[in-house]
Amino acid sequence: MNEPRDREALLDLVAAYALGVLPPAEHAHAAAAILADPDARREYDELRATANLIGLTAEEPVDSARSARMKERLLSAVRADVAPRRAPASGVRSSALFGTMLAAAAAVVFALISVIQNFGLRSDLHDAQRRVVALQAAADTDRHAIERDRTMLADLAAGDAKRYAVAYGTVVTRGANVYLALAALPPLPRGKVYQAWTLARGATAMTPSVTFAPNQAGTTLVPLAADARATAAVAVSVEPDGGSRQPTTKPTFVQPFG
Amino acid sequence: MEDGARLMERVRARDVDAFERLYDGYHRLVFGIALRIASDAALAEDVTQSIFLTLWSTPEAFRDGNFAAWLSRVARNRTLDALRSRANRPTDDIPADLPAEGSTEAFAFARIDAQRVRGALSELTDEQRTPIELGFFGGITHEEIARRTGIPLGTIKTRIRAGLRRLRASLSEAVSR
Repeated sequence: MNEPRDREALLDLVAAYALGVLPPAEHAHAAAAILADPDARREYDELRATANLIGLTAEEPVDSARSARMKERLLSAVRADVAPRRAPASGVRSSALFGTMLAAAAAVVFALISVIQNFGLRSDLHDAQRRVVALQAAADTDRHAIERDRTMLADLAAGDAKRYAVAYGTVVTRGANVYLALAALPPLPRGKVYQAWTLARGATAMTPSVTFAPNQAGTTLVPLAADARATAAVAVSVEPDGGSRQPTTKPTFVQPFG
Repeated sequence: MEDGARLMERVRARDVDAFERLYDGYHRLVFGIALRIASDAALAEDVTQSIFLTLWSTPEAFRDGNFAAWLSRVARNRTLDALRSRANRPTDDIPADLPAEGSTEAFAFARIDAQRVRGALSELTDEQRTPIELGFFGGITHEEIARRTGIPLGTIKTRIRAGLRRLRASLSEAVSR
């Protein structure tokens, strides 16, 4: 029996996650375990709070010029943010307006001078702009991927998420989102996959959703494309590789939503 | 040092004076973490400014618990973001954090200061402390820690957990004294 050893390995994984050293590929495994297993959840909460304290040891003096420079910039930005919220006094309105116009005029002059000075560099500038656009697109793609992951993890751990205990784990809904957080799923026969199903409110037949295969530990975290608010139930069954149009085996579980 | 959680309550109410005090009290921590991770003072300065601006613009990001500990994690993650962005590496290398459900632990350690954490860390064996510090300040995965130290991955995982548990026990003892 490898159960105690597997258990220790799982808690080691959770500790690595709490410290922030797990590679993304193992994220879903750790997150699913934390959601499905109260011991893993407790281990995560305890060790994450501990790991966060490690950074305190890095505090060190900042040279006074740098410290003052940063402070000045920050306070300027913060005061500028606060200032528009205050109603301007009538006596200072005209001078403030004049100042704004003066600043705008100076900006226009500066821009004109810059354009003239940089006329010969225009083609280099266009190349650079094209590169910036390409890099921006790549950064946007990366940012969307991170946002998606963060939304998923925030949904899974949110206090207002609904959690339904099912065989091998938990179905979690929050707002429109639905997730399956499953642990210790039985290994699949060759040529088979797990398939999720959703039942729309008022419908009589299940709609096929994603197919998935758990990792070696039987753990998986699956976001479903259905809108939780319009879904009456979810189910999972074992199906031939590629999925089916209707369940062909007895479902591993069927979970109605309240 | 003024209590960060209380100052953040005032920052939520757009209190510039509280923000200034927050900066005075905590910029050395943020800068120190960024500098230790990046070994680049200019980048540490950028990260510090960016974090404090975020504290001002979205103060609700901090909910409760030990403010300094929370800020440490933010500083770590933001610095790693900046380093990866500078290296033009995809930022989804960075593991997203699963938010802690209960804040009991964070509350329990709300009064822990740097000196106590240093003391508790020094009580760990080198074998436990090295992978923990490499992981937190190095921003690398446990596989990379194993590769750099030449120690099997399974052993690294076990030492990280044992080290964190011992650190927690030591700090809990300090809190209860």
